[in-house]
Amino acid sequence: MAENRGRLLGKMKGGNQVRPIGLAGFCKSHGKYRMGRAPGWKDNASFRQGTVVFVLTFGIPTARGASRNKMFEKSLYDLIKGLRTHKGGEDEYVQDCLRECKAEIKSQDMDKKATALLKLIYLEMFGYDMSWAAFNVLEVMSSSKYLQKRVGYLGAVQSFRPDTEVLMLATNMLKKDIVSPSIPSLSLPLVTLPHIITPSLAMSLLPDILSRLSHSSPVVRKKTIVCLYRLALVYPEALKLSWPKIKDHLMDDQEDISVTTAAINVVCELGWRRPHDFLPLAPRLFELLVDSGNNWMAIKIIKLFATLTPLEPRLTRKLLRPLTNIIQTTTAMSLLYECINGIIQGGILDGEENLQERDEVASLCVGKLRGMIVMNSDPNLKYVALLALNRIVTTHPMLVSVQQDVIMDCLDDADVSIRLQALELAAGIVTSDTLQAVVNQLVNQLQVASLSFARDATDPEFDPEADSSARAASESPEGQRASNVGPDTSIDLPSEYRTEVVNRVLDICSQSNYAEVTDFEWYVGILVKLVGLLPPSGLDEYYQQTQTGKWSINGSRTTVAFRIGSEIRNVAVRVRGVRPEATRAAESLLLVDNRSILFPAGSNVVNDVLGPIAWVVGEYAECLVSPDRALQSLIDPSNASLMPRTLQLFLQAIPKVFVQLNRTWGAKDTWKSELSLLLARVVDFLELLAAHPDLDVQERAIEFLEVLRLGAEAMRSNTQEVPSLLTSIIPSLFEGLELNPMALSAQKKVILPPSLRLDEAFHDDLPGLFRNLDRSMLNVDTRSVLQDFYHVPDLSPPVNKPLYEAAPIEVHLGPSYQNTVGGTIEHPSVLERRKVERRERFKDDPFYIAPGSSSGTSTPVHDVFKSTNGDALDIDSIPIVDLKLDDGQQGRVDRDSLTDRQISPKKMEVTADETFGSDDTPLHDSLAGTTRGSTGYKRSLLQVDSSGLGQLSLGKNDDRDPIVAGDEGDAEMTKAMQNVEQMRLRMQRASERIQLEGTPAEGTLVKKKKKSKKKPDDGDIEKTEPSRVRGKKEEEKGGCLIASHFKVA
Amino acid sequence: MINAVLVFNNNGQPRLTKFYTQLDTQTQQSLISQIYQLVAQRPSSACNFLPLPPILSQGAASSSAGPSDAPTQITYRTYATLSFIMISTSTESPLALIDLIQVFVEALDRMFENVCELDLIFGYETMHAVLSEMIVGGVVIETNIDKITAGVRTQEGSAGKNKAIQAASTSLGRGALPGLGAWR
Repeated sequence: MAENRGRLLGKMKGGNQVRPIGLAGFCKSHGKYRMGRAPGWKDNASFRQGTVVFVLTFGIPTARGASRNKMFEKSLYDLIKGLRTHKGGEDEYVQDCLRECKAEIKSQDMDKKATALLKLIYLEMFGYDMSWAAFNVLEVMSSSKYLQKRVGYLGAVQSFRPDTEVLMLATNMLKKDIVSPSIPSLSLPLVTLPHIITPSLAMSLLPDILSRLSHSSPVVRKKTIVCLYRLALVYPEALKLSWPKIKDHLMDDQEDISVTTAAINVVCELGWRRPHDFLPLAPRLFELLVDSGNNWMAIKIIKLFATLTPLEPRLTRKLLRPLTNIIQTTTAMSLLYECINGIIQGGILDGEENLQERDEVASLCVGKLRGMIVMNSDPNLKYVALLALNRIVTTHPMLVSVQQDVIMDCLDDADVSIRLQALELAAGIVTSDTLQAVVNQLVNQLQVASLSFARDATDPEFDPEADSSARAASESPEGQRASNVGPDTSIDLPSEYRTEVVNRVLDICSQSNYAEVTDFEWYVGILVKLVGLLPPSGLDEYYQQTQTGKWSINGSRTTVAFRIGSEIRNVAVRVRGVRPEATRAAESLLLVDNRSILFPAGSNVVNDVLGPIAWVVGEYAECLVSPDRALQSLIDPSNASLMPRTLQLFLQAIPKVFVQLNRTWGAKDTWKSELSLLLARVVDFLELLAAHPDLDVQERAIEFLEVLRLGAEAMRSNTQEVPSLLTSIIPSLFEGLELNPMALSAQKKVILPPSLRLDEAFHDDLPGLFRNLDRSMLNVDTRSVLQDFYHVPDLSPPVNKPLYEAAPIEVHLGPSYQNTVGGTIEHPSVLERRKVERRERFKDDPFYIAPGSSSGTSTPVHDVFKSTNGDALDIDSIPIVDLKLDDGQQGRVDRDSLTDRQISPKKMEVTADETFGSDDTPLHDSLAGTTRGSTGYKRSLLQVDSSGLGQLSLGKNDDRDPIVAGDEGDAEMTKAMQNVEQMRLRMQRASERIQLEGTPAEGTLVKKKKKSKKKPDDGDIEKTEPSRVRGKKEEEKGGCLIASHFKVA
Repeated sequence: MINAVLVFNNNGQPRLTKFYTQLDTQTQQSLISQIYQLVAQRPSSACNFLPLPPILSQGAASSSAGPSDAPTQITYRTYATLSFIMISTSTESPLALIDLIQVFVEALDRMFENVCELDLIFGYETMHAVLSEMIVGGVVIETNIDKITAGVRTQEGSAGKNKAIQAASTSLGRGALPGLGAWR
């Protein structure tokens, strides 16, 4: 409505805030192109007049032409108007228009064609495909009228895609246009080619474009330079030929400033690919930086220098003074910012010598950045200053951490982008002293946001309870900075931001194995709070984005909720001192009654948090406040709907807690009735899961179900005391050495036994086996087959025979995690001998996989099994890899409790990951490696691939060929390769010409028409250049196009 | 370099799309709508830099690790009903891009006196011409408003008379249609 008519510059946002380049004020008084508003603008006559006049812009200067257009076809104006009147049924209308355009664009009338094309281009902007019109685009491009030609070229820019085939038809027309005497005409191909260039086209056009570098008009020269750059991206050879000339323009003092700027911009794009080639330019760049006074160019030069300085330390010294000079004097914020940025990125602050001077510069930069944040209310400056600080913080964390107050304020900024930057920065500067304050502030922020959200959701009126709890939170002794988080700053935080904050809090606290956390009880409390503050979305994008395709160990995407659960588990495992507190926190989260209170409503956060938490509850069951309630919560029937991976962990926890409960109840008089009741309920729950669709859940459920059923049976028979199955055997399943954290890379270091062949197939014809199996399943009743399978081992049905033969079933009790002999290692020779025996024995068993490593201790179960199975079960021979615990001890961090606030003065010992040998390949690297590998193929959208330039060496001096400098043989090889490449391109072009015969239907159709117009002796070449023919003809007719139109009509 | 220049209005309807790499139409549209989503939810007081939308952030994991070919910054600026967006790699200065948008709008303001959204709808071609005088193939070639407008006027100079009449018609058209809120 009215806003459409709003003057863009009138309501311009923040117009004068960032205007360093010294732009003049707005020009509002140039009335040349407007005749003023007609007074009677509402009546239809002038409306129609508008239509007519608009058509004139497409090159029909006569009223006759115009009126004809009005009657028979739509102009762009009509199209736009029609779109407006067909609101709701727009798509239908557009389809109608497209049909019309399809007809019009085939017309012989160039005006009609161009108008139709313009309409198509307009519709293309809204996503309506016009790739089918590619040939017509070429036709319009070949028009002799500039404005029509312009429409054609615009069509090429907007609609040609890499698979557009007609482009090769255009070569000659492009050649002709490039050398056109009229500057506008020759600019068209120059600005269009960057969008449509292909290697073969680049090769053919290169000489013509090169010649334009010496054109008399600077407008042409600057466009040519940029065009050559884009040519070079697809055809690196082009740069080799054009670089000397571009360099001449750059070096020339008399050159137009626009051309120099364009050349600098191009060099800036090329610079980071091959910085070595541009080092010789440094003196000239320096001169331009100091003398030109053009801020746009200065910014680019500084950017360029930032890539050059790492290669040439002497540059650093030379640059330091002018840069500081600019920083101190300039009023242009963008230039100031780029100077600081250049100093940071160019590594000028990094060197060893001149320490004092460097520190001065560093503090000058930081001071200026602080000024940008504090003095200016402009959010853009705040944002970029934080960006720059984020870059400095890696090298000069101390300098940045001095600015902590400002950064903390930015954490509460109204702008989420600024907050995110500040958040990243905060993560970089926290120390053990500031960590709690920062984290508390962030958590309070989330609390206020979620409370206001809840208030909005439930009751728009004032909710006293929520407010009081918010106040309580802000008045808590830890929340020193909470006063900043007033209700006025509590803007509606998007859930992505909230997720990001939680992720950052976890990053901050867990970095370098909790080095900065002093008070773990506080941390556990924060973690529990965070669970309640999670945004309701399940899968968050954070980890998907930053670590593409990274999967956590148990094969699921890491969600932030899962991270919190894992953090609680990590703290419980690693920090023995707070294990009871962590377990109790886990217990409180686990209880069924608490779930609705502690977890955000209506989310699937529950699933992700509960898994690791259940593990903690089970593993450290002795720390539980009420194992009874914990077990009740674990076997609550509602749990059956949880996700499989959560259920797996639940199942593992149930017997552990049961054992604990058993231990405490064993002394009671009523143990028997209570225990059997409980057992029955646990068995009930397990039976529920015994048919779970997830195999892993099912397996675990059945395992424990059978064991506990045995227990229940024992209870029935043995009346006097708790059966030993329940008192000793089942508990012993879960006892042994304490479980310690393992480094993720440790598994990789377990040496594979040489006999393990992972790459070989189990059976040559595995699909065949399954086919047979399927057929058998169809014929025989499944149940009976299964029964036979289990109960009649020797008389297996003949249909099963192939499978059975291939896979002889052998009862083999694999090693459990617990029942190996710990500590003692047998003599190597004995081990070796046993290994050989085993290898021999299992040589033909396709299902046998040599066990890797296991750790644990001897347990009663082991003894039980050993006595029943005798030596046949060769558990002792399982190779045990000795964990080098020294490394782990090295990693243990002894933290002195520095803060007096700490409640318990006990030292918190954080267990580090255990691993073998030296951790030379950190997991992070290998992960990064894989992601880099994967992203290497998948390049980002919109990305222009300039990697081809990486291999190119620029012949900087014509007399000194850089190739000669290298090895003689290499040089010849390279030359030969280049020749081959050129030949290939030439042949490609030749074949493209031949392909012309078989162009798609669109093309042939038009060609026929043309043939009828064309003289037969024009020959084959003429087919490829309809432009020339057309051009000649029109010249003959003296540009009287309209006359011919009417003839056609 | 600059990877794309987009202009759309408050309803997310594109007014100008210019991609300096070839991209199929569907992807273009989803990119536009994703960026519009980001712009639409930002308050007017927010800074002029957008986070990368999902479609762009997929391949750009190593954004902070120095220059690369992948676009890493999106600068936008809103004028009245229109938002101007520039997607660029790290070789462009973010603050300079804000100024570049300003130059673009001021140049348009000179071409269409007192420019407004309707001028740009009808002066679709002129807008493209102005842009191509400023940016070629993703590289900035001119920032001087006088030179930009002079360049566009030489282009359209041959149709000088028509141009003037067209401008008048545009002004008529603008006034003549009540309720132009949802022009496409």
